[in-house]
Amino acid sequence: MQGPSSQQATIQARLPFVAIFLILLAAYLIINLANFQFFPRSVRQELEKIGNSITNTTLRIPAERGRIYDRDGEPLAYNLVQYRLGISPAFVADADSLSAKLSEILNLSYFEIWRKATSENVWEFLAGPISAEQGQAIAALDDISLGLEEIPKRFYPQGELAAHVVGIVVDDGLRGALGVEGAFNDTLSGRVLDLAISKVPFDLPEDRPAEQRGQDIVLTLDRDVQFWVESELKNAVEQYNAFRGTVIVMDPRNGDVLALANYPSIDPNNFLEIADPNLRVNPAINETYEPGSLMQVLTVAGALEKGVITPFWTYNDTGYLEVGGRDIFNATYRSYGTTDLATILSNSLDVGAATIALQMGTSDFYSMMRAFGLGQATGVGLFAEERGELRLPGDSDWNESFLGLNSYGQSLKVTAMQMITAYAAIANDGIMRQPRIVRQIISEDGPEEARSSTIRRVVSAETAAILKDILIRVVGEGAPAAELSGYSIAGKPGTAKISTAVAFEEGRNAKILSFIGFLPADDPQAVVMVKLDRPDGDFGYQVAAPVFRRIVDRLVILLEIPGDSVRSRLAAAEADINRSSS
Amino acid sequence: MSQAWFQHTFSRKRFRTRNQATALAILGVAILLILGSLYLSQVASFAITNRQIEDLISRRDELKRQNEKLIGEIASYRTVPRLFARAVDIGFRPATNADIDYVLIEGYNPNRNRVSRTTSEDSRTELTVPVYEETFGSWLEQQLALISDQFRSFGN
Repeated sequence: MQGPSSQQATIQARLPFVAIFLILLAAYLIINLANFQFFPRSVRQELEKIGNSITNTTLRIPAERGRIYDRDGEPLAYNLVQYRLGISPAFVADADSLSAKLSEILNLSYFEIWRKATSENVWEFLAGPISAEQGQAIAALDDISLGLEEIPKRFYPQGELAAHVVGIVVDDGLRGALGVEGAFNDTLSGRVLDLAISKVPFDLPEDRPAEQRGQDIVLTLDRDVQFWVESELKNAVEQYNAFRGTVIVMDPRNGDVLALANYPSIDPNNFLEIADPNLRVNPAINETYEPGSLMQVLTVAGALEKGVITPFWTYNDTGYLEVGGRDIFNATYRSYGTTDLATILSNSLDVGAATIALQMGTSDFYSMMRAFGLGQATGVGLFAEERGELRLPGDSDWNESFLGLNSYGQSLKVTAMQMITAYAAIANDGIMRQPRIVRQIISEDGPEEARSSTIRRVVSAETAAILKDILIRVVGEGAPAAELSGYSIAGKPGTAKISTAVAFEEGRNAKILSFIGFLPADDPQAVVMVKLDRPDGDFGYQVAAPVFRRIVDRLVILLEIPGDSVRSRLAAAEADINRSSS
Repeated sequence: MSQAWFQHTFSRKRFRTRNQATALAILGVAILLILGSLYLSQVASFAITNRQIEDLISRRDELKRQNEKLIGEIASYRTVPRLFARAVDIGFRPATNADIDYVLIEGYNPNRNRVSRTTSEDSRTELTVPVYEETFGSWLEQQLALISDQFRSFGN
């Protein structure tokens, strides 16, 4: 038997081994701890993911779409919130009571709700979309079995007013599909966010970031002018039994579109109920047509600008001309003898326009037509704008007869927006302004003005002045129905046949009657285009000109445009003030 | 000698050792209690504040929704057909050119440069950065007040 000293000796002999073992164990633990701290990135990410899945939940936040306003800040499109309601039957504590409450709030059958509340399924859809008030009432129940999901809803408080301009949204309000909603979808839509919300009560709650919201857009449209134009257009379409009508009002000085109306229109709040797909496009920019005699003004302007003719140019009208193997006649099949420019335009003489085009030659003629913007989209800022058709020499489907036909608006296609932009250039002393529908974009950093820009000078100021004088005569001699007492008006009526793929349509109403005019002629502040498709009546001066007059009768009041005599008096008085102050 | 030292150590200092150990234990427990209370009060105040912030965010979102709705209602009441009909109802009629007199006002620009009154009020709000100006004394007072509030609430 060992004594105490022998035991002590044994312990002392083993102690180093125990110490070494403990040191090694500690080292092993430290190394493992270090290893744990410095996991490879992929492992750490995986662990973080697992951790986050326990402590976080992901909430999809729909982007708040930007609002659309008219030029005076009246809302044309904004957002409402609706909800979709679902239920988790496993979490329902008292199905009877809950069903009764929901039935009262949602006006749904008690038994239907009860059936879903006691279902074996994990999740049941209950109702939606439901109003914000109903959503609030349900949220106030504070029942964990109910799940409310926000659904953004676009609302257009003005109803049909400017519907084709403002546009619509589809895909649960996520995508614009017409008008400004479509063209500026990226600006308006904002960003849908998947926000990680922490379930840990000590973490700060996440707020939706402000930059997620879409930007607001202010249009150039004047709501009052738009309303008046739409009212008159509706009356005109009904009065003349037209298939459809379009009116555009533009400020030639800056290209601002003050009104753009189509009739029949659409109700953007009930877009899905529109049965006719033709109504889902904006005819002013999405559809092209052969403009007919409206083109003659551009032909004359081009010839004057190129110096091919002078304001005193005349020709002998025999009522017939052959161009590129194609016979051209005046629409009335009459000859007019010695004829000047104003007479050509007043009577819409196709032979006169073709004669001028022949004198210009293809190079000058088509370069001027390109300068007037034919065959190119105007870039006004609306969805899916058409660029029209202007076949040029060298194109496989162009032939020499096109020079004559194009001069009076056949065998080429334009949009209404292209035509009014070309006329606005003449009204604006020959300078073509970029037509625009968006005036301001308001972002988080504040409003940003969409600058009015110049596209190009199309004709010289002298040419534009000559044309204005001619067009004043055209209204006086060829379209007196467009005249407005006290105002000098320059303009041109247009009559166009409707072409099909092979020929012109036949029939009494197979035509498009139009009028483009501007006022006051000496200082144009508004250009107005009236276009009626398939109306009763034969000529633009009979049908479209009176509509133009009714529109401008009110327009001069809404836009505060004084009559000619008043403007002269005001100019004289202003000169007096300037003299006395200097 | 060693026995004397042993007796001296254990017989005379037994009571004092227990006293010190107890005092240290009590001090330790007291410190732990204070730290624990401070921690709990901090955590509780964090959770309460976060809950309040959440409530405020929900309230703000709700107010924004109501605001949007009001904008819509106002816009619906201000539609041109409604205003026009109402104006006619109360005896107005559309003005004609003959009804309008133009006068020259010095400095008035007839080409109205209409300034949009549109602003996204909700998104235009200036963000203010909170300024940290808490002192240790005020922090301590705040914590004590919190703890006493909690004790009071436990008592109720």
